[in-house]
Amino acid sequence: MAYRVLIVDDSPAMRAFVRRVIQLSGFELSTCFTASNGREALDVLRQEWVDAILTDINMPEVDGEEFLRRLSADELLHSIPVIVISTDATQNRISRLLSLGARGYVTKPFLPEVLRTELEGVLGVPVD
Amino acid sequence: MTDTLLHSALQESVDEVLEKMFFVRSFGDARGATDEREFIAGLSFVGEPSGWLVLCVTDQAARSVASDFLGEDEGGLSEHQIGEVICELANMICGSVLSRVERNATFHLAAPQLLPVASQCPGIPVEGAESHSVEIGNGRLKVLFQTERPAWSSTEKSAS
Repeated sequence: MAYRVLIVDDSPAMRAFVRRVIQLSGFELSTCFTASNGREALDVLRQEWVDAILTDINMPEVDGEEFLRRLSADELLHSIPVIVISTDATQNRISRLLSLGARGYVTKPFLPEVLRTELEGVLGVPVD
Repeated sequence: MTDTLLHSALQESVDEVLEKMFFVRSFGDARGATDEREFIAGLSFVGEPSGWLVLCVTDQAARSVASDFLGEDEGGLSEHQIGEVICELANMICGSVLSRVERNATFHLAAPQLLPVASQCPGIPVEGAESHSVEIGNGRLKVLFQTERPAWSSTEKSAS
């Protein structure tokens, strides 16, 4: 099965890295959308359905926390699973993001297997 | 946190970020100065405590880590792409250090900025800054980390 994912990060290098890790992990991507902040991501989601969202926290305009709040408040979008990818490994931040609706939290630096496991979890499918 | 513990956090963060995200191993402490051009990225952070981090990576090493990170040939990378990767490296090292020294605090990291090519990496010692330099095969990487006041872990605070 091929998946549609949205990667949200203000770093083009990080967006490229995450995309590469997903593909190397064995996930077939039919479409990989990207956005550089939460506002752009919401613009994408108003036009395209995705199976999962991977998002950074610290971004300009609409950051990861506000993006999660807006997703949670949206009847159509709140069911899309979100994995946060961040350098912030502090307990306060992790707890807050999970309480805002994130289904997974991956701390940078991470091994590719960690992201794969999180994606398998939210997509509900093991990948060979 | 003592200078020794902060230095350990810096060392462990650099090693972990390089190994996990860039598939690069460090080869021990780098000594002496370098004449090679460097990519220099810096970012500030706000929290308890606030401070800044500066990362300097020599030209060839920067090209190599950018190539590993993006999965592209070195020759095909633009200066802009290499700079973006060095900024991301600085961001990850900074977040990793802060998470080690202040696990229960909350920080806001500013977007990393690439300093002009003509800049020179700050010499050591920079007053009050902790520094760590490593050889990474075809070059070297140096990190300077400073907080507005000594960083103390919450566990140490409560224990003291």
